[in-house]
Amino acid sequence: MPYQAIVIGGGHNGLVTAAYLARAGKKVLVLERRHVLGGAAVTEEVFPGFKFTVCSYVCSLLRPQVIRDLDLPSHGFEVIPQESTFQPLPDGRYLFRRGNEADAFQAIAKFSRRDAEAYPRFGRLMARLAKFIAPTLTMTPPDVGSLNPADLRKLYALNKQVKTLTEEELYTFARLMTMSAADYLDEWFETDALKAGLCSSGIIGTLLGPRSPGTAYVLMHHYMGEIDGAYRSWGYVRGGMGMVSESIAQAARSFGAEIRVNAEVRRILVKDDRAVGVELATGERIEARVIASGADPKRTFLKFLERSDLPADFVRGIERFKIEGSSGKANFALKEAPSFSALPGNGPQLQGAISIGPTVDYIEKAYDDAKYGNFSHRPFIDMCVPSTLDPTLAPPGKHIMSCFIQYAPYTLRKGTWPERREEFADTVIDTIEEYVPNLRDIILHQQVLSPWDLEQMIGLTGGNIFHGELTPDQLFFLRPTPGWAQYRTPIKGLYLCGSGAHPGGGVMGAPGLNAAREILKDWALLRV
Amino acid sequence: MADSYDVIVVGGGHNGLVAAAYLARSRRRVLVLERRPVVGGAVATDDLAPGFHASTGADLCGLLRPEILEDLNLAARGLRFLPLDPEVTAVGDHASLRIWRDVWRTQAELMTKSPRDAEAYPRFTAFLRDFATALDPLFTMTPPNVAAPSLGEQIDIFRRAFAVRRLGKKTMQQMLRMPPMPVRDFLNEWFETELLKASLAVDALIGTFQGPFSPGTAFGLVPHFLPAVHGSGWSFVKGGMGNLASALALAARDAGATIRTGAEVSRITSTDGRVTGVELSNGERIAARVVASNTDPKRTFMHLVDPEELGPEFLVHVRNIEMNGVVAKVNFALERAPPFPAVADGVPAHFRICPSLEYLERAYDDAKYGSASVAPFLDVFVPTIVDPDLAPSGKHILSAVVQYAPYDLRPGTWDTEGDKLGDKVVGLLEEHMPGFEHLVVARQVLTPRDLETRFGLTEGHIYHGEMTLDQSLVLRPVPGWSQYRTPVEGLYLCGSGAHPGGGITGAPGYNAAREILADWIRIPS
Repeated sequence: MPYQAIVIGGGHNGLVTAAYLARAGKKVLVLERRHVLGGAAVTEEVFPGFKFTVCSYVCSLLRPQVIRDLDLPSHGFEVIPQESTFQPLPDGRYLFRRGNEADAFQAIAKFSRRDAEAYPRFGRLMARLAKFIAPTLTMTPPDVGSLNPADLRKLYALNKQVKTLTEEELYTFARLMTMSAADYLDEWFETDALKAGLCSSGIIGTLLGPRSPGTAYVLMHHYMGEIDGAYRSWGYVRGGMGMVSESIAQAARSFGAEIRVNAEVRRILVKDDRAVGVELATGERIEARVIASGADPKRTFLKFLERSDLPADFVRGIERFKIEGSSGKANFALKEAPSFSALPGNGPQLQGAISIGPTVDYIEKAYDDAKYGNFSHRPFIDMCVPSTLDPTLAPPGKHIMSCFIQYAPYTLRKGTWPERREEFADTVIDTIEEYVPNLRDIILHQQVLSPWDLEQMIGLTGGNIFHGELTPDQLFFLRPTPGWAQYRTPIKGLYLCGSGAHPGGGVMGAPGLNAAREILKDWALLRV
Repeated sequence: MADSYDVIVVGGGHNGLVAAAYLARSRRRVLVLERRPVVGGAVATDDLAPGFHASTGADLCGLLRPEILEDLNLAARGLRFLPLDPEVTAVGDHASLRIWRDVWRTQAELMTKSPRDAEAYPRFTAFLRDFATALDPLFTMTPPNVAAPSLGEQIDIFRRAFAVRRLGKKTMQQMLRMPPMPVRDFLNEWFETELLKASLAVDALIGTFQGPFSPGTAFGLVPHFLPAVHGSGWSFVKGGMGNLASALALAARDAGATIRTGAEVSRITSTDGRVTGVELSNGERIAARVVASNTDPKRTFMHLVDPEELGPEFLVHVRNIEMNGVVAKVNFALERAPPFPAVADGVPAHFRICPSLEYLERAYDDAKYGSASVAPFLDVFVPTIVDPDLAPSGKHILSAVVQYAPYDLRPGTWDTEGDKLGDKVVGLLEEHMPGFEHLVVARQVLTPRDLETRFGLTEGHIYHGEMTLDQSLVLRPVPGWSQYRTPVEGLYLCGSGAHPGGGITGAPGYNAAREILADWIRIPS
């Protein structure tokens, strides 16, 4: 019996779980279907000389605890701060918010002095509330409704934590949970461009618009990065996002974990309601007492297992888990740096986030297209040109541009993604060309990924980048389904360690960390 | 009128009358001041044309607290209900569906559409009835002070949580999961019949500036099941909704309250943070120890109270209350019963034009960008089907609630859009009732702007503020002020802007009266 634990999927969360288990002395095997590790946190040289961070492209939420425990910097992990947001506007103006307060004040005051004054207060309040949320990311959610003393203790502890908020913070928090980003920002600001720039972080990756209640909360989530001390705000990872996964894999290997690529799991083997191993696509069978699945809940429970292995109402819960992807990705290899007509040249504006979404209505209308099953005819695009800060990603003088595109629903009402991918690519390029007029002339290569492609390539069901919508009915003790938010599953010895579990998607490493903790707890209690 | 009063109630809407009746029963000297010539606010019966008595504002009653019905003995004061059954007939493009008060009868009707839905429907109503049962006591409760709950409040919260837990762990988890969901997603988990889903979604959407795809709308389904908790159902008021106002006014008068109509309050007066009384628009001043405002929070705090007394922070919160009205009302007097080919037995007393969830969402999309829906959904009442005395013999009244019609039109104004809206409604009704247009004897269009001027509803919002989760319970009307008290000592809110919000419940008035009486010994004479 060579392995004690098998981790399905070498995404960043799976690797985190593997690293922690190996660190605790367990004999761990990671099985990755693709030829590269990282899942959606991956760097690939798609075209010679150009290294694309194919899917996820910025980093801020990776838990400091994970970075510390696994000593990731010594394995090559390095963050380059991405401190600004550049927003070109259709009328030729632009809003360029930089990290330091004085610059941000100047930039916003061009539009509204009142907004410029409110902006730092807004940021501080958001950061304070995010700080309150941060500890819940690395906790195992209580099983609400359970009368088990451990769960009741957890609820009591949460209640105590709530009491650390001031009255004003408490009310703000309650309202953020249920308000739309647009309504909340209306209370603070009058400049449409600023509101659009801020509310975009409330909708990334979800099939909701800025006027959908609940998006204010997601907006706050994005201030989490600010408070982790060492890493101000958002950042690029040197060498691309693949280096996050690479460094975690290095750490896991250093603790003795074994990692196999090109090893596709086809089935989880179950005997007497216990997971006993996995079967690969090649037919090979590997046994282990613990199986941790980094795959999303639908894939894990509805593909790798037989329905008859699971309780019927659990299956129903997984079936109705919302996992429809809503975003696409376009990566461009460019002959030269893109030049925006609003602010031409290769200046500092290219070093941060570049956001195409000039007004709240623009983003809302993009959502309207998607909710009826079309990709946005004018999408919201969050771009970056990481090669301006990390020259290792492209040949000298050339650049890569990474574009996150919202909205692109997985299920199209007309046609299929393979049929419409070209049209989608044209829409994206047309949209950007309104701001970068010569874009078509400087594109050397392009890679356009629809949610369907993300599913095919990375194995994200529905192409959902978060392994399931991050809406309140699928968060915390309800993720992935009520009663099963503690990383365990109805199959003994089978655990979830991916973003389909609490606290959800984003390159946080938190699900992997929490799952490893629960697995080791069960091990210590001889439940494994 | 040189008398001074213990309590002045500003506005004789149904909640103001309830508060007045309870306070008078506790032997306070109460004066109700109503701007209009009749009391009731949006609970009103007006003549559309000679002999046509229409409920121009609210159409239905279902949520009125049973405590109030009993305490104020409203039945003895002439209040009669005429139950709706079927509660609604949903009309789609080429189909109709009746939802009956009796779950099993509805199930039988559903069998012809979808056996799967028929099987699920009783479970669905059972879940919602359980949820409504758990929610029911909250209506007559003052929201706790969450920042510093008293021991009593803590015990109460615990007790309520435990009561929900007793329904079973799974039910409790579903109750926690459901409220933030879009009503579409929740209904999709249960049903496949589009017309059923659309009609149920309307229950959750009426009066709110949200579409069925908006998160948080699922919760709106729950209050709809409250009448069932009390063994009753949605009903018309015999003789029109105004009879409910009359019964409440009679109860208040019988208990000793004075009611003055045609008396518009222009100012709530105060000195040093204490309320002193009111000033009428004719300059008359009336003193009182307590003022209970039945007007909405924006009207109360932004127009009636001296801003100096409130402070900028409180006023910012008030200004931020979302209350962009979305409902218009079009009332018709009809020559005779309109034809209604969709069902065999003629036009029903209540039907809805709501073909699909997507239809509803698209109607919302228009409003989102500031226009009235190109194709609105209609909630239509023909009260004369069950109450023929409302109109001359053989003639009928038809009133349509039209959504979405945003108060804040961009571009355009309701001065010019009102008639167009009326025509649009006629066109929609004509599609389902051929020849309808020629039956119309009189037509009254009440745009959100008209609801504002007629009933005093700021921004035409029928609930005195959106009933979304961020404006509910401890957050209603503004965070920190959910216990009916206000920053001005002696000034209370007793209208729908306070917990538990809009709808004909009487609960805000009932709760406010209780809080006023609880404070009484601390109120200087």
